[in-house]
This record gives sequence, structure tokens and C-alpha cells, in this order.
Amino acid sequence: MRNRFRGGIHPAPTKERTENLPIEELPPPDKVQVPLSQHMGAPAKAVVKRGDLVKKGQLIGEPTAFVSSSIHAPIAGKVTRLLEVPHAATGAPTQAVEIERQDGDEWAEGLNQERNVAGLSPDDVRQVILEAGIVGMGGATFPTHVKLSPPPDKPVKTVIINGVECEPYLTADHRLMLEHPDDILAGLRIIMRVLGAEQGYIGIEANKPDAYELLREKTAGDDDISVVLLPVRYPQGGEKQLIEALLDREVPSGGLPMDVGVVVQNVGTAAAIYQAVRFNRPLIDRVVTVTGPGVEKPGNFRVRIGTSIKVLLEHAEVHSDIARVILGGPMMGIAQASDETPVSKGTSGVLALIDRRTFASRPCIRCGRCVDTCVAGIVPSELSILGEEEKIDEAEAAGLMDCIECGCCAYVCPSQRPIVHLIKFLKSEVMKKRLTEQGKK
Amino acid sequence: MEKTDVTNQPLLVSASPHIRDTESIPRIMWSVVACLAPASLWGLVVFGWYAGLVMLVAVVTAVLTEGVVQKLRKVEVTLLDGSATVTGLLLALVLPPNVPLYVAAVGAVVAIAIAKHAFGGLGYNIWNPALVGRAFVQLAYADAVSLSKWPILKASRYFWGNITDAVTKATEVAGGSVPEAASLTADAISQPSPLGIQSLKALYRAPDAPLHTAYSMKSVLFGLVPGSIGEVSALLLLIGGIYLVARRYIKWQVPLIYIGTVAVLTFVLPVKKMGFSSSGFFAGHPLFQIFSGGLFLGAFFMATDMVTTPLTVRGNVVFALGCGILTALIRLYGGYPEGVCYSILLMNTTTPLIDRFTRPRVFGARKRE
Repeated sequence: MRNRFRGGIHPAPTKERTENLPIEELPPPDKVQVPLSQHMGAPAKAVVKRGDLVKKGQLIGEPTAFVSSSIHAPIAGKVTRLLEVPHAATGAPTQAVEIERQDGDEWAEGLNQERNVAGLSPDDVRQVILEAGIVGMGGATFPTHVKLSPPPDKPVKTVIINGVECEPYLTADHRLMLEHPDDILAGLRIIMRVLGAEQGYIGIEANKPDAYELLREKTAGDDDISVVLLPVRYPQGGEKQLIEALLDREVPSGGLPMDVGVVVQNVGTAAAIYQAVRFNRPLIDRVVTVTGPGVEKPGNFRVRIGTSIKVLLEHAEVHSDIARVILGGPMMGIAQASDETPVSKGTSGVLALIDRRTFASRPCIRCGRCVDTCVAGIVPSELSILGEEEKIDEAEAAGLMDCIECGCCAYVCPSQRPIVHLIKFLKSEVMKKRLTEQGKK
Repeated sequence: MEKTDVTNQPLLVSASPHIRDTESIPRIMWSVVACLAPASLWGLVVFGWYAGLVMLVAVVTAVLTEGVVQKLRKVEVTLLDGSATVTGLLLALVLPPNVPLYVAAVGAVVAIAIAKHAFGGLGYNIWNPALVGRAFVQLAYADAVSLSKWPILKASRYFWGNITDAVTKATEVAGGSVPEAASLTADAISQPSPLGIQSLKALYRAPDAPLHTAYSMKSVLFGLVPGSIGEVSALLLLIGGIYLVARRYIKWQVPLIYIGTVAVLTFVLPVKKMGFSSSGFFAGHPLFQIFSGGLFLGAFFMATDMVTTPLTVRGNVVFALGCGILTALIRLYGGYPEGVCYSILLMNTTTPLIDRFTRPRVFGARKRE
């Protein structure tokens, strides 16, 4: 076991305020705004309209392609309207279904009923996962049923559960491992069975020794599951870095983990899979860490999808003079312009930061720190300069698409260049170019 | 932009990452100045207050030139970021201590306006600006910069002595014999620098030539020998250099490989220069060689300049090797006693090429076993 990956940084973890706080389940909010696109791939299509009454867990959006997902009502109530809300990642308006709560919190019919898992075939399980709307909850929100459907020429013999949670501030996965370890392990077993995998790993960063001990205890008798403690380094939780550290394999450039026989899933996703398969509960809530120097009462909250982050911030007693609200972690999360953004399936954290400094970007002084920390083996400074000069083709040839946007480069840059921002810009130009070329064909 | 409901002013929307390390350009630059301080202060001691004037003129001219040029270019004026200060200081440190002040000023103008800003300013220059300034004044004011006899204050006149007072007595100093022969009225004495021909004769003997007693190992290490303002005390430069390595502002491989290569080559290869040749291979005196001249100053503070050297560690190893080879060759066979300035400038020229051939390996580009 290699136990480490190339590059990376050591930001201050700043998890002390919430790592010992048990998950607090918040009551269902009075109103939710549920985006129809909370996942990679085609947005869901609404199957309800204004005035419809819905029960908790009822389907309100159906998938529109193979790479798509289902959306369910997180609360019982009445559909008041279809509206546009800020998309958590882009800030652009995105379609959502607004539901106002009515009395009661009942599951829709047929849901929340135990069933015999062993009797389901792998394809059955995939169908359940699609119908339950499960997507990657580490933040990438890739539709899980797709991830669990590798083509026959790419056999997957190893499953890794990602309990690393390397971003500073975030502790939701940590608490999940401590409080629902059985769900996670059961989810892992389901995944292994669906894929026909022989070996399972759970990777945990060394700043969570209690979770590591607990999971290790629970898998002590299992030969086919290993719980591994990894050194603390960002971004150890990146799936390619996790595979590199645990298995000493490199996912090929432009490829996927299945190319080296691996599938990686977040602990939250594993637990959600278990809930869906065993109890027929669709994905309607998740654990979110609300923290940062700008809140008085931070915590790890289980909240319904569609809850406005305003509700969370008020619950955590946010200070009124905060500078930034970030959804996700501080390294890769997205700063919000509005407090109206709803929590979606990929929202792992809500951070209230008070640092008001803005970074005036200076020229690259070619110090090479970004190259030293880059996990993808590309030259971030070069890409940042190509970004400033809008040289799309040259950037693509220089390894642009290998960037995982982890932010290590910009973190260490003495000129405080917005390297990731420039890379994201270049990537969007490349995607635009590819789409136009596809359209021409 | 409206305020949100939970905050009393609009939220800042920054691009990720939203946290940063604490490094910045000013921090790096001023740290370099601090690391040069011990050697600079030493120069003030052994070369006197006039050396301080040279440093002042160089730095002030550099900073003012940068201000003027940035205004002309209509770009942000960044006088306090320390970068022009470092250039001015380094330039002064590689000039003779009795250099006319206008020479230092011209060097600073060339370094900043031409070597740095004509290429686009900080981050865009190909050559080390201080060294370009020095190379320019070496050509334009050869008599003032390329001395055959270099002054140093007598111990009793440290700091207070007037270094410019030595030159007229220089012709009275015979090579091979020691300070006593120098004038008793001047504050300073002038001698060949440790790498000057007279000392080389002693260095690479030839059966019965004792090592020049004024240039003991101790004196070249501590800085009791003549030379440019900042180059003489290898020890003080080493201390500053170690701090830069510890702060990870410079890659330790560069000074190690540069100095190491010079040591090895000057030990192994015979010297043949200006009518003098040594007894053969493996006859060199590597320790003396590396402590003498501008090697420590160049290896720790110029060959490590971020802008003009390769990006990766591997690239810098090649760079340092090249500098070492060129410096050794110039010292052993070239027309100048010292080769550091030109070696670094030549290697600066190859930096883009080195970068092209030392790109990091892309993750997942080749199957690893």
C-alpha cells in the first residue's frame, strides 16, 4: 500500500468546533425549493404541477436520460409553484419545485417498508437506486446507478468507500461514520454484490481515529473488507488520490476508476443506498456541516433537501457581518451571492467565513510551488497564463482537462492568482467548442 | 447587489479556493533582503561607509526607476513589494566597494528598466536583472568594475575608513607579498582578489609556492579578503542561504549542486590561464575555490531567483549543474577570474528550454507498475 499520493497541501483542518457534535435532525421546514437538477447529467422533468398535494418521498421529477436522476418531495405538502432558484454550483437560475408544508410528515404509499435485500438481483438494485434518486453525496453528485453499471469489458473487483473528508471545516461524514457505521457497511456490501467485487476498502483520514477504530472493530472478522487509516493531506479524498494511496494504481488520464477495476463511493452515498434498498426510502435528506467563524452555534445537521440555507444559517446563529457563504468546503466549495439557495443532494457544508480580503492577482513569478503541489502532474502556472491569454487549444494540449480543480495551486500561489478560476473558464470554453463540433457532425 | 436576509451587506463571491496560504510576493522579497543583511552589513564593516552609500544609491535608484517606468507603462506601481529593492541590493553586492556612485546608479537603471520592465515586468524577465546591470557596467565602465587590485580596509579602519582612498596606492602593492607593503597612510589596502592570478599561482602549486598568507581558509570563509561588497563572507551568506532553504523560498538542490559541481571540477581539472598552468589533474584546492569569489552569493541568491530559473526541481538540478560547469570553466580557463555572473546569465537563457524538457509527469499518462 502506497499510503500517499503525489502533491497536496496541509491547510489547517479547523474541524474542532463540530467534530464532536452529534448529528442533529432538524424538523421539516415550512417550505422547500427542490431543484430538478441536483446531479450530473440531464435535469429531471417535473411530474407535478401547481396545486398538487404530495406526500414525503413522492416522485416529483423523473429522470430524462440514462445519466440523470429522480427527484422526490422531501416534505409532505402542496406544490405551490415551479420557480427558478440559484444553482448551488453555478449561481445561474435553475428550475425547482416549491412545496409548502402541510400537517404531517408521512411517507408516500409503499415507501419506508422493509424488504428482503437478498432477493434482489443486481439489476433490481440498480433500478431501486435510480428510482430512489441516489447520486454521489461527496459533492460530485454523479448518478449512482450509472456508476454501478460499468460495461462488461471493465470488471470492477474493488470498491472503496470514501470516509476521508479532507476538506477543512467539514465533519458530516465523520459523524455519519461514528453514528451510522452499520448503514455504511451494509451499503458497502450491497455495492460489492451489485458489482461482483471481491475486495472492499474504507479509507479514513488520520484526524478521525475514533471512526477508524469503530469501523475496524466492526469489520474485524471480515477478510474482504479493510479499513485503512491514511495520513492527513489535502486532497486525499479525491477519488484518484484515494485509489493511488490505497491500491497504488493510477486512473488513466481522461479515464475513470473503472478503468483500473475500482469504484469509489462516499460514505453518505453508501448509507443512502442501504436506506433505499432495505427500507425503500428515497433520498430526501442529508447531513450538512454548518460552521465557520461567522456562526455562533455550528453543528452537523440532518436537513431535508430543498431547505433554504438561510434556515440553516439562522439556526446556527450566523453573525450579520459575515463576508462569505460557501456551499461545500473552503477549497472547492462555491461562494453564494444569495442566501436563497436551497440545500441539494451534494451540499456537504455551509460555511460562514469572515475574512474580507480579496486577492489582487499579480503576475506569475514562476516560483514553481503550484507545480510542486499539483496532484494531476500538470503545470498550473502555465494554464493560468494561457487562461489570461484565452489560448484554449494550447491549454487543452497542456493537460487542462486533467485538472481536478482541487485548488492546491491557488492556495500556495504567492501572487494570489485565481488559477482554478482561470482553469474553469478554459474548461468551459473547451466544452463549448466540443459541443459545437458535435453539433456540426 | 442587494443585501441578503441574514447579512447586513452583500456577500463576497470569490472563486475557489476560499482560503489561502500566507505567502505573498512582498513576504518573499523582504525575506530575501533580510537574508542578505548579514553579508551586507559585513560589507559595511570591511569596506566602510562608502559601501553603504553604494548600496543606498543602487537600491534607491532601482526603486525610483521602477516607479517611473511603471507610471510610463501605466501599470500598477509596486514600489513597496520589495522586488526592486532586492535587485538594487544584489547589484550593489556584486560591485567593487570603491565603485563610483554613478556607475551603481546606471547599473540599477539598466537592471530595472531594461532587464526587467522591457520584458514585461516582474515575472516576465528572462535574465537576472541585477546580473544584467552588473554585466552592463562591467562593459561600459570596465576600469571601475573589472579591477586587478581590489581594496579592503585595514582592520583598524573598519567601517570608518574611506575605501576610495586606496586606489592611488595600488601600484605599490606587489603581488605575492602582504599588506605591510601597502601604504601606511591610506585606510585601505589593495590586493589581488583571492581568485586573482597572483593567488592562483599560490593555489595551484607548483612545488614551492606557499598559499598566500593573507588568504587563509579562515579569511575567505569569514570574509577578511577583498572582493565585491557582498561576496566576501561565505559564512554570512551561508547563514542567510540556510534560512531561505528552511523557509522553502529556494530549492536546496540548487546551491548544493552548483557549489558542489564547482568544487569537484576545480579539484579535478588543471588550471590553464594567462600563461600559468598548474601541475595537473586532481591538484586543485576546492574549499578555497568555493569560498572565494561570488560563488556563494550567486549560488544562494541569484541562481535561485524564481523568475529566471526553471519551474521544477528536476529543471533546477540541470540549471545548477550548468551553472557549476560554466563557472568552473571560466575560472579555470576563461579570461575572467570570476565566472559566476556570466554562468548564471547564460543558464538563464536556457531556462525555457530546460522547462520544456522537464515537465512533470501527468497523472495517469503512463502506466505505472
